[in-house]
Amino acid sequence: MDLTICVPRGALFDESLEALKAAGLPIDPLLNLGRKLIVKCPDGPTYITTRPTDVPVYVESGAADLGIVGRDVLLERQPDVYELLDLGFGACRMVWATMAGDDPAPAAIERFGVVRVASKYVNVAEAWFESTGRKAEIVKVNGSVELAPLVGLADGIVDLVATGKTLRENGLVEREQIFDSSARLIANRVSHKLEAAAVDDLVRRFAEHAR
Amino acid sequence: MSESTSAFALSVLGLSALMTDFMGDRVPLPDGVRDVLPVEAAELSALETTLTGVFSSFGYREVRTPLIEFSDVVDRGQDQGIGRAYRMFDDQGRVLVLRPDLTIPIARLIATRMADEPGPVRVSYAARAVRPPSAGTGQGAERRQVGIELAGAGGAEDDAEIIAALAAALQAAGLEQPQVAIGSVALVDAVLDAVDADQDARDALWGALQGRSMVAWANETRRVRRARGRLGALLAELPNLRGGGELLTRIAKIAPAAAAECARLLHTLDLVAAYGAPTPMIDLGVVRDWNYYSGVVIEAYAPGASAPVAVGGRYDALGARFGRPRPAVGVAVTLDLLHHAVGVPEGREPRGVLVVGGSDTRVTAAAMLRATGIPVVGVLAAYAGPEEFARTQGLRYVARPMKSGWKVVDVTDGVATRIASLEEGPWI
Repeated sequence: MDLTICVPRGALFDESLEALKAAGLPIDPLLNLGRKLIVKCPDGPTYITTRPTDVPVYVESGAADLGIVGRDVLLERQPDVYELLDLGFGACRMVWATMAGDDPAPAAIERFGVVRVASKYVNVAEAWFESTGRKAEIVKVNGSVELAPLVGLADGIVDLVATGKTLRENGLVEREQIFDSSARLIANRVSHKLEAAAVDDLVRRFAEHAR
Repeated sequence: MSESTSAFALSVLGLSALMTDFMGDRVPLPDGVRDVLPVEAAELSALETTLTGVFSSFGYREVRTPLIEFSDVVDRGQDQGIGRAYRMFDDQGRVLVLRPDLTIPIARLIATRMADEPGPVRVSYAARAVRPPSAGTGQGAERRQVGIELAGAGGAEDDAEIIAALAAALQAAGLEQPQVAIGSVALVDAVLDAVDADQDARDALWGALQGRSMVAWANETRRVRRARGRLGALLAELPNLRGGGELLTRIAKIAPAAAAECARLLHTLDLVAAYGAPTPMIDLGVVRDWNYYSGVVIEAYAPGASAPVAVGGRYDALGARFGRPRPAVGVAVTLDLLHHAVGVPEGREPRGVLVVGGSDTRVTAAAMLRATGIPVVGVLAAYAGPEEFARTQGLRYVARPMKSGWKVVDVTDGVATRIASLEEGPWI
């Protein structure tokens, strides 16, 4: 098999390996990766590992044929790729959260006409507030989003939560649920056609174990 | 100077100077556009000539449409208007648009300027469409496209001709086995008819298809209540289905409402085979972004190109929007993507002569060489390093006048020869 598969480092990494293994793919080279970013399995696929948000970039450009990525990243980046399968793991939800107690958002809208939102997911946040008839001012932050409302940078945050523990520890409460997310198998538009047989076979094997 | 002092100096003086150097005096281009330099321009021109040559051998005659049109006219091409495009005002305040697509203007041209031609009308074009780039997708704003449109009787014969001409053009351009996939908007609609999907379900399902999300498609099909048993299973896996003719036979059995479309596609496959073209793959997940397509949709793929090198399909209702209904089908090759896929062209070695001391002193000889298609360029006698200059200009020889005759250096291998006159050089 000559396929190149892009695997996200970070939260989805371990379960991605389990899914690959369950689909019958060799994963040994991925177990002791160290600092290596690319490994070729003999008689198997080539794996590349990237930051989760970069997976659709590699797949859309054709640098990887297939990739595993959270739905949150797909909705944020809107890449032109095939979303082939819901792999079922990595379940979490995109939420709008503000400080516990009185929700500051309605007052902000009423008095200032705008709600200030901190998020890594700028496009998702913008679309959510627009679709619910509110004007939002989005502040792009790259990490520790929970900090923003605590220090007055924003009225609240749009972020991905799994258990909600980080929110609670920082005195934030979930106000609105925007969408559910889980890991998806994606394919490059051209690889999906030129490697049709190999891709379809893999999708079938993933699907058998996904649910 | 100690290391810490030099680092300090760098931060105060050097670094700020460096910042000004590359951040300050910029000469930017708008997002998504770029210049084309000589090597690329020559390769793109050669590809374009090859493609238009093949298309003209099928009887397609070139037409050209304007770069700008009235917005409201072009907007008629799409149900909800053409969406994002570069728009501007003319001197009377009317809204103009830079053409974001070439099929719509060609359909307008055929429906208006060629309305009286009995047809079938075969036209080709080589032009650029411009669309604002979407952030982060890497897709350029300018798309160089070479395409054909056939407004004819509306049968499978026309679809097959377009597919065969496309395959021939891609092969001539250097793709040995162009992989063509065809889907059908009409077939998907027929299956949706068979399960009695309501308008909401149709919108959601088409949205899933255009977003290329098999996951969203599968989720939406669960809400279609009439989709049960074998028909339900067919609906759920529809965009994942691909293969050859046997697939169409199977669909026709399960969903009789789609039998006519299946038969038409089968007939198309047979006709394409009769042209000797590679058999297209049937792929029902293939859809186009423009919603004017009404029947077969076509995509062609090549290794090395990150998106389909050619796209097209049948758009029977588009002509009526410009006053003259006429079924039509067409396809366009995106030149930049094809260029990525074909690799470095063979047989285009450097040629031509750089004449040291200027060609003006040997006007007759230079003119004779130019007349035979050999580039001749003059350079001043005092020019330092004419060989290097010849290399950068894609010229193969440097000719220097000697007391009698010429010394000629082939810059590709450094071999020098002596000749009596320019008329008898190795370039002849």
